[in-house]
Amino acid sequence: MKVTRRDLLVWSAGAAAGLMVTPAPWKILDDVSIWSQNWPWIPQPAHGPVEVRQSFCTLCPNGCGLRVRIAAGWPVGVAGMKTHPVTRGALCPLGFGAHQLNWHPQRLRNVQHHGKTSSWRDAQAAFAKARNEGSVVVVDGYPGRAASAVLQRFARKQGGSYRVVASAESRALAPYESWSGLPSSDLGYDLENAQTIVSFGAPMLDGWGTPGRFTQLWAERAAGISDPELRLIQIEPSLSRSAARAWKWIAIREGSESALAAGLARVLLEQKLVPAHGPVPALTIAEAAKQTGLSADAICDLARSLVARPPVLAIARDRDPAVAALNVVLGSVGARGGIIRRGHKTETYLSADTEISNARAVLIDSSVPWNFVPQTEGETFRFAAWGGGSTKADWLLPAFGFLEELTDVPTPPTSAIEIYAVAPALAKPTTDVRSAAQFLAALDADVSSPEKIIHGRCAELFRARQGTLDAQESIHIEKIPSLAKFEEQLWSGAVWVGEPSPVGGLHCELKSWPASAPPAPRENWASDWPAPVLPPLASKLYRESNLREAPERSKV
Amino acid sequence: MSARYGMVIDLDRCTGCGSCMVACAAEHNVPALPQATARTGLTPMLVRKVSNGREGADRREVFIPIMCMHCEHDTPCVKVCPQQAVEVDKDTGIVMQMPQRCLGCRYCMTACPYHARYFNWWDPAWSPGMEKSLNPGVAARMRGVVEKCNLCHARLHAAKEKAAMAGKREIDPADYIPACVEACPTGAIRFGNLADANDAVSKEARSPDAFRLLARLGTAPELYYKSKESWVRALADASSGGTPEVQHG
Repeated sequence: MKVTRRDLLVWSAGAAAGLMVTPAPWKILDDVSIWSQNWPWIPQPAHGPVEVRQSFCTLCPNGCGLRVRIAAGWPVGVAGMKTHPVTRGALCPLGFGAHQLNWHPQRLRNVQHHGKTSSWRDAQAAFAKARNEGSVVVVDGYPGRAASAVLQRFARKQGGSYRVVASAESRALAPYESWSGLPSSDLGYDLENAQTIVSFGAPMLDGWGTPGRFTQLWAERAAGISDPELRLIQIEPSLSRSAARAWKWIAIREGSESALAAGLARVLLEQKLVPAHGPVPALTIAEAAKQTGLSADAICDLARSLVARPPVLAIARDRDPAVAALNVVLGSVGARGGIIRRGHKTETYLSADTEISNARAVLIDSSVPWNFVPQTEGETFRFAAWGGGSTKADWLLPAFGFLEELTDVPTPPTSAIEIYAVAPALAKPTTDVRSAAQFLAALDADVSSPEKIIHGRCAELFRARQGTLDAQESIHIEKIPSLAKFEEQLWSGAVWVGEPSPVGGLHCELKSWPASAPPAPRENWASDWPAPVLPPLASKLYRESNLREAPERSKV
Repeated sequence: MSARYGMVIDLDRCTGCGSCMVACAAEHNVPALPQATARTGLTPMLVRKVSNGREGADRREVFIPIMCMHCEHDTPCVKVCPQQAVEVDKDTGIVMQMPQRCLGCRYCMTACPYHARYFNWWDPAWSPGMEKSLNPGVAARMRGVVEKCNLCHARLHAAKEKAAMAGKREIDPADYIPACVEACPTGAIRFGNLADANDAVSKEARSPDAFRLLARLGTAPELYYKSKESWVRALADASSGGTPEVQHG
């Protein structure tokens, strides 16, 4: 049969028309689409046995309870621990993506000396040499842990000093330390029993204290209620998250919080709205009005609304003696719903913010925020899990990341009750890391390991037979048959909760109205993170939405 | 018995912390790509800040979590999809998106009145090793398809599996809680079965303070919002209300 040009055209047209009514092209298009979306180089989740373990977040000193989902030996998801007595299942937004931090591109993976790769042996030799030549100062950002005890003992043994970089919440408690003679680390806020909380710029609903503690109290007792059981009065120049949700927002001029506190105290004392007698501030109400931008009447109204629903508690954003003095005038120190003493510690810590003179070496623990720069001429050994940009440290030493290290969790800085928990290591370290405590223990055999100290602390709590162990249910420690059982439960996520302290035992003597402190710099929402490195998914909060401002990079 | 899963979001309780956004992204293996912006990122749960448009002491702000509304009637995205990649699951009321069927034409994005759908522009990528932290219950997000909230369908599957293993036909409600609900520190996002008149969430959805966004369109979303503030409730039907200031994410 002869094939003509016409036949070819007819067949081609027929084939083209026929193809259109068959599913073949659509199926091919669909398959190509699927193949091109699943190339072998596209990462796939690891598969393996899945289990849920309990632990605690140790990225800041608040120690929130975690439920960690683990698959094939790696943490694959984080949620809050509902049975935690303080956080009750809440976490900060950064916590939900923290399991990805260990693979962050800015993870420190090797020892660095002046920006060049070095070794642990060289770092240890350099530190040993410095120790022999002069005094050593150790800086901690999360005091109270077993690891902190190691750092403290080492510093003391060397004749050096142990210093602490305190959080803004801890610094706000500092004035009471000098007026009462008690360490601020033993004081807490009795938020649960307060009826009026007046915040002088403290981000009460935006991560203040232990995330979840106040937000849940507010949600239960204030949210959406016009006359709430818990009144939150937010004093702040701009409409912050806390101000937007507060019962009352008072807009004042930037940096005039101390003046407003003094003005309120003056009204309270002059109009005899409080039974307390105290030193009257030198600042007149008219002067306070001028500084704050409020009217004198508005200050008087605010003072009256403070005492309308006691107990009232004033909370400063940072160290502010005037706000602390206002609490003394209000009778809120050592009282229910105010500033209370939660335990019986006697130790005060030296602040690392002052000049560290005559130190040959300064060792900085990984719990210290990255943007902390010691004022010293000594050689600096800086432990960190993540590098946050340039640094003035002579040595950079890679530390354990998220959930890579066994550690204990002491009472959070603002808590009204004492707690104790143990955070087991749930992730394998992804690089050659050491903790500052291990580093020091290798130099001095007499320094105990954190694990031994944790066992010792557990034994001490068990022997005292006080408090409860909170897991699925709360059990009094007397009902736990043995120390082994107690430790087993603590290691699997239970929390020891101390007996509530009796009210009293804290008395502040205020001889004169304190001089106003210079306003503390307003910290960026991410600057409290141990390093200015955020979990990658935090980008959803600032780059892929307008919810927050982008974090500032280290200014070091 | 068929369920009709839905949510009530109490805007008076939302502090705009963003925990729901991060928890949602972690649950669904959404990568944090450096090139993603507020326009091009994948945010199945997006919290928007809205104000009453005033300045100074009269200014008020509220945070509105926006996600797929799981419309029950005349679901706009289902109607326009040429690939049948979107359908309403009759047993759950969940609007399902099947990425394997999606060709990425984005008709559904145009049709969605809530702007709750996102096109996935890039192949998923993580820092070396970070793929070990991915949720094994959910696939990595595919490039070139449209994505949206599926009410954590993987969690529903897991709950059904657990019930089946126990020889039960119905799941335990405690086993099926979406990631955003679990993450919310103030309990602002509540989840339940709207078909069950005795369910607490179902009761809340019928309270006088509850409202749906753009209810006049008649799409009957399964997502309800709640607020005692009248200016916030006025936002529900934005075109007929005032002109509140909405900052788009």
